[in-house]
Amino acid sequence: MKEQSFLSSSCRIELDAFEGPLDLLLYLLRRDEIDIYDIPVAHVADQFLKYIRRARELDLDIASEYLVMAATLTKMKSKSLLPSHRYDGEEEVDPGAALRRQLILYRTFREIAEELQRSEETWTEIYTSPGERDRWSCDSIEIEPGQASLLDLLKALNSLSEGEAELPSQRIQRTLLTISECINTLETRIVPGKTISFREIIGPEPARSRIVSYFITILELIRRGWICCHQAYPFSEIELQRTERWNVDS
Amino acid sequence: MILDRLAREVEALIFASDEPLSIQQLCEYTGSGEDSIHQALDRLNKAFLDQQHALTIIEVAGGFRIATDREFGDVVSQLFEGRKLGKLSRAALETMAVIAYSQPCTRISIESIRGVNCDSAIRTLLERDMIRISGRMETPGRPLLYSTTRAFLEYFGLSNLDHLPRFDEIEELLGMSSSEIEERDLFGSGE
Repeated sequence: MKEQSFLSSSCRIELDAFEGPLDLLLYLLRRDEIDIYDIPVAHVADQFLKYIRRARELDLDIASEYLVMAATLTKMKSKSLLPSHRYDGEEEVDPGAALRRQLILYRTFREIAEELQRSEETWTEIYTSPGERDRWSCDSIEIEPGQASLLDLLKALNSLSEGEAELPSQRIQRTLLTISECINTLETRIVPGKTISFREIIGPEPARSRIVSYFITILELIRRGWICCHQAYPFSEIELQRTERWNVDS
Repeated sequence: MILDRLAREVEALIFASDEPLSIQQLCEYTGSGEDSIHQALDRLNKAFLDQQHALTIIEVAGGFRIATDREFGDVVSQLFEGRKLGKLSRAALETMAVIAYSQPCTRISIESIRGVNCDSAIRTLLERDMIRISGRMETPGRPLLYSTTRAFLEYFGLSNLDHLPRFDEIEELLGMSSSEIEERDLFGSGE
């Protein structure tokens, strides 16, 4: 068990060392001292598949690009083993040509990447003034109107939501105002023989819950016939008056 | 060595500017010709060297800047402790290389050269401001096009895109078909 995990991690490192199938192929060519213009397809295909198989045995995720390359190589290998039929006027198509072009291009860019890495090495030790802020930090850089990219907007949105998390939180106690409580209060507020407006009952700047509670209470009292109300026109003051029944029923 | 007025004007301008100053800008602000500016820059750098300053004037991203010597990288880096980003991964560097030479280019064209998915490398480069989205290709799906930024030039100490290593050779290579590449490599610069 221990050996298995050791093996798997070493193989993982091995596969992770490659930047994709082309990188692995170039490694195999160099290892076996193969000329890029004279690739023994069968041999290279076998070697490539060996890597893939080993990775698969160890249950590693194999990027689909490797599988595509494995399929391409297998196809090339099978073609190279079969006798080729050529018809008159048909040009011989070298199946390896496209792959060679890809390998040459990739190899060139890999070399360039190495050169860039050397430049990076040098230039991270050189500081210019001013402008270091732009060069090194992720701090916001001023953006001209119309120049913001989608990424800039997303960054801005991110920084906003980060800021939001830091806002001081406040606990709000929810106060329950029951209808019976309201009725008890109203008992003293609605004096027999006098008119009181709804606005007076709820008081100045009432919480929404207070308005709702008292409104429902008033509907309830109307239903019971304990009060009667009067409103001159829509949205105007609601005037409330106690009826005789309040005292009788309660 | 006493520096002349022009050299000191150039020094002041480069020091105070918040972006690399081009030779044209230096000419304009000092009212001098290109040759005089180049000579003034040489005199300045000679003075820096003679007096063993930690500074030199360099040409980067299309203009001139005052830069510290590599020797003092460690000391100066303390100023940017924690703010400095790590070096680019190999995947990011390869992707960077492809974009630099074939810009503006699509994700697909980068991936066809690298033979591997480049999503995360592109994202890293975008985040680090090394590349930008420069438009869309007018083909089905209208894929995004990527180009390098000035930050890219500065990061790698390039004065402009023509100064990329082996620029002409790779431009040529990219424009070639498979057979042309083979002929060129077999009979040309083959290893």
